[in-house]
Amino acid sequence: MTAPRPYALLAELSYRCPLHCPYCSNPTHARNDGELTTDEWRRVLREATELGVLQVGFSGGEPLVRRDLAELVRGAREGKLYTNLITSGVGLDEARASELREAGLDSVQLSFQSDDADLGDEIAGVRAHQRKLAAASFIRAAGISLSLNFVIHRRNIDRLPQMIGLAEALGAERVELANVQFYGWAFLNRAALLPTREQVTRAREVATAAKARLAGKIDIFYVLPDYYETRPKPCLNGWGQRYLTVNPTGDVLPCPTASSAIPDLRFENVRARSLDWIWRRSESFNRFRGTEWMPEPCRSCPQKEIDFGGCRCQAALLTGNAGNTDPVCTLSPNRARVDAVLRDVNLSVVATCDWMLRVNPSKEAAAPLDLGAALS
Amino acid sequence: MFSGPCLTRFIMLMPTQITDDARPRLASGVRLQIDSATGKSVLLFPEGIVELNETAQEILARCDGRPLSDIALGLAEEYEVDLATLAVDVREILADLQRRKLVEIS
Repeated sequence: MTAPRPYALLAELSYRCPLHCPYCSNPTHARNDGELTTDEWRRVLREATELGVLQVGFSGGEPLVRRDLAELVRGAREGKLYTNLITSGVGLDEARASELREAGLDSVQLSFQSDDADLGDEIAGVRAHQRKLAAASFIRAAGISLSLNFVIHRRNIDRLPQMIGLAEALGAERVELANVQFYGWAFLNRAALLPTREQVTRAREVATAAKARLAGKIDIFYVLPDYYETRPKPCLNGWGQRYLTVNPTGDVLPCPTASSAIPDLRFENVRARSLDWIWRRSESFNRFRGTEWMPEPCRSCPQKEIDFGGCRCQAALLTGNAGNTDPVCTLSPNRARVDAVLRDVNLSVVATCDWMLRVNPSKEAAAPLDLGAALS
Repeated sequence: MFSGPCLTRFIMLMPTQITDDARPRLASGVRLQIDSATGKSVLLFPEGIVELNETAQEILARCDGRPLSDIALGLAEEYEVDLATLAVDVREILADLQRRKLVEIS
């Protein structure tokens, strides 16, 4: 099918990060050598603008580990891109915040692991909470729009009211409460991270009430935990429709988790091809574009243009085939695999379960972790 | 358990709260821009893009700190439409954008 124009680019500048969150969606076997240079990123940003992209999110890993971040923001603004920094806040001081503001940074999405310092530091695997509070004040002082991002899971979901309270106290314009999605490290730690049904029901009530109470003051964006849904999320608004991701070494991905979740898909690199060619012509962007690729029950489903068959990465991780219907859908022949996970979590008498903290990529590519073992 | 419908009604009442002397501006982190691919105006904000229709674009282009009554009057004169009807539309659009934190009203 013909390629539409993309709206947003996710620029993953580095997989390095000072935090070790067990729900990180980065690949579990990333390498840290061969990151794109400043000039290469500036070219990517120019090519993205020419393709029609209007927004860029600088992410990672931790984008602040790149000393050339302000220069990249300037490059993006030359093409009138809306610039958004998605950061842990660790490494952001007063000087850096004003440097980024002067470069034209529009907005910062600052992650918090909890409102509570001890729990937050435990989840991050490092003492980061106080530095995040300081980062929030530097961002406000520089006059940059501030959003707080919380990843919600079993250990922090009961603190939703306090987390919303923190967003109010820090003067955030927007707060994103996103239930953990199971890719990368999060997939390995599913048993420890998935909330119970009771927790999810309560959290939804809290989020709905807060959204009404704070309307016009803070925009609250609540992301549902899709395992508890009966229909899949409209992942990416369709494969290769609106979004593209460029990872630290220049691979162009239809979805940031695709490189680890779908091993049989070959991705093109900006060092070898133009972004335009990759977006329009590459096999990876065309494989699941449109509705032609769909199997039943999606093919004859009236919802197929609404949820697009759900998430390709989730289908790959849970069924071994990225071309299957997302097993979150109750019409999927593989829904039992999601139900089995939910049953284990909701029947378990053990309230907590150990998780594995993310480790940083090294020069040597670590042996890929056995995802099959994590399924059982 | 689900309190959605009541909350919706509450929010629907908000337009009447915007008075003639209210001064709407784009909220922090929100940018109004022409999309060069389509020539249309868009609002850009964190992880979001809204394509504006002509009415919304004309209203937002005037959200520079002047009061709502001036915005409505200016538009009514320029497009030769009934001021009372237009003022209702302007309030509704601004209330919707305010609720989504895209416009701030002081």
